[in-house]
Amino acid sequence: MKTLFPYLTKPLVLVGGVLALGWLLVAILAPLIAPYDPLQTLQPLTKPMTVGAKGEFFLFGTDMLGRDIFSRLVWGARTVVIYSTLATLTAYAFGLILGLVAGYAGGRTDAVLSFLANVVLSFPVLVLYIVIIVVIGASPVNIVIAVTFSSAPAIFRIVRGITIDIASRDFVKAAITQGESTWRILLVDILPNTTGPLSVDFCLRLGYTAITIGTLGFLGLGLPPPTPDWGGMVNEGRSMAIAFPHLVIFPCIAISSLTLGLSLLADGLREVNDAKERQA
Amino acid sequence: MFLGIFLMRKVAIAVATMLVVSFLIFLALEVNVEDVAVKVLGQYSTVEQRAAWLAQNGYNDAFALRYVRWLGNFVTGDWGMSTFFRAPVAEMVMPRLAASGLLAGGALLVIVVFGLGLGVLAGMRPGSLLDRVISVFSVVTTSIPDFASAVFLSGIFVFWLGLLPGASAMISGFSLAELVLPVSVLGLYSMGYLARVTRASMADVMGTHYIRTARLKGAGMGRIVLRHALRNALITPITVIMLQLPWLLSGVIVIEVFYAYKGFGTLLYDAALNQDIYLIEACAMVSVLVVVLSQILSDLIYGWLNPRIALGAEA
Amino acid sequence: MTQPLLQIRNLSVALPKGADRPFAVHDVSLEVRPAEILCVVGESGSGKSVLTAALMGAAPKGLRVAAGGALMGGRDLLTLSERQWRDIRGKDIGMIFQEPMASLNPALTVARQIEEVFELHSDYSRAERAARARKLVEEMHLPEPDRILKSFPHQLSGGQCQRVVIAMALAMNPKLLIADEPTTALDVTTQAQVLKLIRELRDNHGHGIIFITHDLGVVADIADRIAVMRRGEVVEVGSAKQVLTSPQHDYTRALIAAVPSLVPHDRPSAGTEAPALEVTGLNHCYGVKQVLHDIALSVAPGRVLSIVGESGSGKSTIAKNLIRLTDPTSGTISVAGQAMLDLKGGALRRMRRRIQMIFQDPFGSLNPRRKVGPMIARAAMLSGASRTEAVTRTKELLELVGLQSSAYDRRPAAFSGGQRQRIGIARALAMRPDVLIADESVSALDVSVQAQVLDLLADLQKRLSLAVVFITHDLRVAAQISDEIVVMSQGHVVERGPASQVLTRPQHPYTRDLIEAAPGRGAF
Repeated sequence: MKTLFPYLTKPLVLVGGVLALGWLLVAILAPLIAPYDPLQTLQPLTKPMTVGAKGEFFLFGTDMLGRDIFSRLVWGARTVVIYSTLATLTAYAFGLILGLVAGYAGGRTDAVLSFLANVVLSFPVLVLYIVIIVVIGASPVNIVIAVTFSSAPAIFRIVRGITIDIASRDFVKAAITQGESTWRILLVDILPNTTGPLSVDFCLRLGYTAITIGTLGFLGLGLPPPTPDWGGMVNEGRSMAIAFPHLVIFPCIAISSLTLGLSLLADGLREVNDAKERQA
Repeated sequence: MFLGIFLMRKVAIAVATMLVVSFLIFLALEVNVEDVAVKVLGQYSTVEQRAAWLAQNGYNDAFALRYVRWLGNFVTGDWGMSTFFRAPVAEMVMPRLAASGLLAGGALLVIVVFGLGLGVLAGMRPGSLLDRVISVFSVVTTSIPDFASAVFLSGIFVFWLGLLPGASAMISGFSLAELVLPVSVLGLYSMGYLARVTRASMADVMGTHYIRTARLKGAGMGRIVLRHALRNALITPITVIMLQLPWLLSGVIVIEVFYAYKGFGTLLYDAALNQDIYLIEACAMVSVLVVVLSQILSDLIYGWLNPRIALGAEA
Repeated sequence: MTQPLLQIRNLSVALPKGADRPFAVHDVSLEVRPAEILCVVGESGSGKSVLTAALMGAAPKGLRVAAGGALMGGRDLLTLSERQWRDIRGKDIGMIFQEPMASLNPALTVARQIEEVFELHSDYSRAERAARARKLVEEMHLPEPDRILKSFPHQLSGGQCQRVVIAMALAMNPKLLIADEPTTALDVTTQAQVLKLIRELRDNHGHGIIFITHDLGVVADIADRIAVMRRGEVVEVGSAKQVLTSPQHDYTRALIAAVPSLVPHDRPSAGTEAPALEVTGLNHCYGVKQVLHDIALSVAPGRVLSIVGESGSGKSTIAKNLIRLTDPTSGTISVAGQAMLDLKGGALRRMRRRIQMIFQDPFGSLNPRRKVGPMIARAAMLSGASRTEAVTRTKELLELVGLQSSAYDRRPAAFSGGQRQRIGIARALAMRPDVLIADESVSALDVSVQAQVLDLLADLQKRLSLAVVFITHDLRVAAQISDEIVVMSQGHVVERGPASQVLTRPQHPYTRDLIEAAPGRGAF
């Protein structure tokens, strides 16, 4: 409680936390919250807040295939939460390990790894995705692979920088002069000291990944239909958005609120970290 | 002299990067020749047709040889024929690139003016109300995906207020009005990051000893900001502007697709949807080249702004 | 008696709520007269820097002047608006800071920065501004004034930067100069020159100067009057002679007693024991630049060898070579007869415990995430102790270095700088080393804490019969702890010998310069 307290005193962090955790809850409880099957055809193109022919209530209306948009949004939360988290975690697994190694080892290992990271980073993210998706196709696993491939170098760069900074501190030198093994120095002396800045980056990156998955969906290169996916919903509804704006507005609000929540949370974390650092 | 060596090293790294990138692209798209044949000749081509086409186009040669030949062709401007558009790729890419350049240039202008401006205003007095308002604004604009802000802004300005056109296909010739929305959405999305970098840099500089010195010399706030802080505070953000280009290019694809703007982004998008591999290769190469060139430019600007580098104090 | 330039009356500066005390500066009354240097001396946290900041109308965020006034020329400085301040700063009051390099704008030339003062406070023509800037630079005894004027700060040395800062402060010939630790970041010989310059200013131009410092040696060299501050209050004020020779307050007496003497204790001369550490022919190059030339050292068990030198002398590179953080280009290092430089992998790791280091920065040398007890116990285990042995040894060591047993379960953040340095010593000793390297291990500490840690080190070293290599820039500290002293300059050993001989009968001109420059040589 004591460690949580400084986070809760900032209203924006509170907003961010409510948004992000809210969506997490929606994702977990999707079967309980969603009134209808997200794939079931009910009644095409009803406006929001209308009652259907069989007495159904469509809070956000239905799409052209007659699927309940509210239910699709709720299940879409599960899609985005699962795949963003999964993709971010795998990207972190690679970026963290390679970043620690490159930052600590330095020299040729670092030069080679850094060069390769820069090669990947010199692709505009979306171009990279498009190439990857064209080659391996758009399936859930491939989306995770594509995100991992493009995010890991950025994480690598951050971790490497932090590692170099921490490795130059005297307590790491002390551990070396004690004859401590390299892997233990990495795990005990360096890794725990990276958690502050990395927690901020993790939050932000979760948001980026959600944006990316949404954008791929919007471009029709994302999860194959009929998976409920916010970006995909915008893509499908786009051609009829003039007459039926609810097709696109609600999924856009959904994804924006999630990514905004994560950003605000990251901001709050950063402030608290900075304050801690100033104290120490 | 020192700047020369610095630049030469950067160019060497850029060339190496392009070589590795070209290899990766070629490896990804052309290592499987059967796939290439299917993509070029279509799903319904016969096995014999594919075999003949592969033999005819040198696809039975070793991979390394094919790569070197492909790279040679690419460097000399022979980028192959688009299978979907049935036209030489090189001729298609350039005009589209120019169209996107216009879009990105406009967005860059918005980003520079508002990103730097808001960042400086916020960082001048860290912790002030103005600072907090600007910070929240920049978090909000960068957090909302660009396709979503395109939906929101179009909703307001096209459908609700009816002020602007909702598509930017420019069917009846060039139209400035059609540029307003795509440029704004792109600018809004990327500006927040620059504003944050500028704010952080400005706030750092405002806390330095030499700003205190200037203040204790008797300089006023205006003079402190303009004469002492800006030049030092803008080194990082101006360098960052160029490094944002990859991000901006990603945004360009989304926004062009959204507004049906005939630029480089829609070209790559069409290529991807139609498995047009030679066009994809060319677009990917060109976009990476743009990024790599922008990085060199960014290094140059950094060297030019920072007297320590220009005078050879440190690498 | 001349009229005071500045009269501070009952000045109090409040700290924000939740701080360890209500006031950063409490009820301070002081006066400065023309042609007088008033030294405000105190340890960290004494409020001396807040006092000067308040006098310049630039109190740090969150601090506010709660009471009192500061009269100068009939005006109370503390009631001025920001607008009025701008006329006074730089014109009536000049200020000099601790970090000379950081105090200058990296993007502007020296000339522009000096001329700016004239732009702000005079209507001199452009040519006249340039001429005056040049004259100032000459007055500061800066070499090649034209080159200096065209330079950017990073092209100058620390001492040159400080002269430029002083030139700016003096440009409008202000009556009052405030100098906040102006020589702390400088090497001793440079410090001596800057102090001389400041004395000249007082004598030739009649400036009244408030000189803030933590260094009683500097105070003894420069002060006309002294104010001693402690926890925000002035505990004693008086003429320099009076305060230094017959201090009235206990705290002043303790401060003066803690200043290490330049006169070394009598030490038994070296025995015939085999050296615990022997270094021969050590050379070290960074690229083409050679930073160590043919260094030879030898320390016997139970003896302390000090390596003394200014920044850039190569003394820290020796330390890094000794603990094998970097390998020398050539040479040999042996510990207890075992050659260190050939060792690799596991053999090296096992040998490392025999030569341990105490670092300079008490805040950077302990992992903030680890509890103190397990940290020390881990060191013991690495030296071969079992888990239970390690815990027992840790508890003994904590007691030995004067920490309570409750320290075991705390993290470094819970300790002060001096306490952290004790933890660092305990960690090093947990490995039962033969050789202990102390790299500027007491230089980040306040003088009273410094004396305690030095005593502790000397005591442990004798009890455990350790060979100690003590690296320092401070001759006083070296005089107190060393049996032998090695003086280094630009990568060469220029003089070596028993401490008493090196300090009282120096042979090499550089050693003589160093001793000459040691602040407060006449007083302590």
